[in-house]
Amino acid sequence: MADDSAGVVAHQGGAETFAQQQTGAADAPVFRPPGRKFLELRHEPSRINGALLGLIGAALFIGLWEAGHYLTPEEGRQFLPSVGEVIYALIDLFREQNFLDDVIASCIRISVSFFAAAAIAVPLGVLMGSFKNLRALLNPTLSAWKYLPAASFMPLLLVWFGPTDTAKLALLFIGVVFFLVALVLDNAEAVPSEFTEAALTMGASRWEVVLNVIVPAAAPAIFDSMRNMIAVGWTYLVIAEIVGARDGIGAMMMRAGRTLSVDQIMAGILTIGILGVLTDILFRMAARLLLPWATSR
Amino acid sequence: MSVKPLIRATAVGKDYNEGAVRALSNISVDLHENQITALVGPSGCGKTTLLRIIAGLDFPTRGAIAIDGKTVQGPGPDRGLIFQAYTSFPWLTAVRNVEYGLKILGIDKEERRQRALDFLKLVRLDHVADHYPRSLSGGMKQRVALARTLAQRPRIVLMDEPFGALDAQVRWEMQELLVELVEAEPRTVVIVTHDIGEALYLADRILFFSRQPGRIKADLTLDFKGGRRLKEKEELFSLPGYREMEKHLFSMMREEIAAVDNAA
Repeated sequence: MADDSAGVVAHQGGAETFAQQQTGAADAPVFRPPGRKFLELRHEPSRINGALLGLIGAALFIGLWEAGHYLTPEEGRQFLPSVGEVIYALIDLFREQNFLDDVIASCIRISVSFFAAAAIAVPLGVLMGSFKNLRALLNPTLSAWKYLPAASFMPLLLVWFGPTDTAKLALLFIGVVFFLVALVLDNAEAVPSEFTEAALTMGASRWEVVLNVIVPAAAPAIFDSMRNMIAVGWTYLVIAEIVGARDGIGAMMMRAGRTLSVDQIMAGILTIGILGVLTDILFRMAARLLLPWATSR
Repeated sequence: MSVKPLIRATAVGKDYNEGAVRALSNISVDLHENQITALVGPSGCGKTTLLRIIAGLDFPTRGAIAIDGKTVQGPGPDRGLIFQAYTSFPWLTAVRNVEYGLKILGIDKEERRQRALDFLKLVRLDHVADHYPRSLSGGMKQRVALARTLAQRPRIVLMDEPFGALDAQVRWEMQELLVELVEAEPRTVVIVTHDIGEALYLADRILFFSRQPGRIKADLTLDFKGGRRLKEKEELFSLPGYREMEKHLFSMMREEIAAVDNAA
């Protein structure tokens, strides 16, 4: 109350506002913004509040996990280890079991096969998005492949290549390339026709339009498509490594499964999660660096 | 002012959906060098279709367009096109946008940069030469597109509702800028608009289109301006004959609306 009256006095002494000139300060209505609800429609939280909410979400998850651990009867607890036990298992894996080699092996596999897939899918998608005849020629066949579960190719790949790295790389490649083509095709087609037509009326050739207009115009969207598909790549990597590998994160998890070391299995899952987030950040940083005109924030 | 026909349309017709829709029917018209011609009419009258056929982006079903006696076979840098949508490339800075058109023409790097800066200055954007379009307003983006097109020195500048997305005040500034640019360096301009005021201010001649099928309903030379282009738009209102012309255009537009209402 005291604050309120002080506020009014300060107002009267201050510069004359339009409202004061109109009605006199005493009966000038005071506008109080209504309080924000937690579920305020389309309201963007501040940076700090956003980060805080993210942390609360993570804490809730960890809390649930911990609760699950302690609510499990003691004889079954090893099958749902606590957060601390999983982190301890992770440290132990790095220290005692050369887990770093596994992580590196997995990272190399995903890099090689993903970039092979991108090297084919991106140019192909751009061309199909630029030339509709090419799309008509290839897209029906390529989209059919999307409906074949990549994992079902594993037996075939094992027969062809044996339990080699080639088989694993091929699985990852198959799992990613067809979806990536479809996404890049959409990205290229989404380039406004005004851009391509403007270039044509300036005298650009078809190929100049593809290279100098469609590629740069679609580049930010293509980057996003790649970022999303590499996440899918991790899924196939683990499948490939579980089926037949001596090293890699998936192989470690399979070994741990044989000894019922749930903490190590979970440590493997956690590692993949962390690596996934790191790749995501890496892609975003690369986009910001390579396409400064597209990143508004 | 020269009156030699630069663009000649001979019996141009355009159908869509295998003749189900007649966008244009039998258009024969000569457009003259260094004139500003406005194509005016209700939506769906085919004025944009005719512009795109002149640009070489669409092809007629019947008839042909000839530029200087040569039949149009496709788009080319002799006919610059400005769209209503912002087409300044977001991945290039303002000056690089203008340079892009010059690069296509094979102009070497130094001259390219110089000419691009000259034209940015002409549209009063030299202070934001190194900005990406993202940080420019709608009017500024459209001025980049204008500079990019004009820098190529096309014989014909085609404009498809170029100021339609801009708010009223910016649109007015852009109209006066366009007159200024055409006065500084004579150009042949064909502009599609449904804004009668814009057509009256900018054009030397108005082709009024009617729809279903799209055809030229009236061919009006704006004699009341005395063959002069006005620097300021408000000068228009005190010219004798202006009101009558405006009224005439409005009543033609009303007839078009009524025709559609009756058909429905």
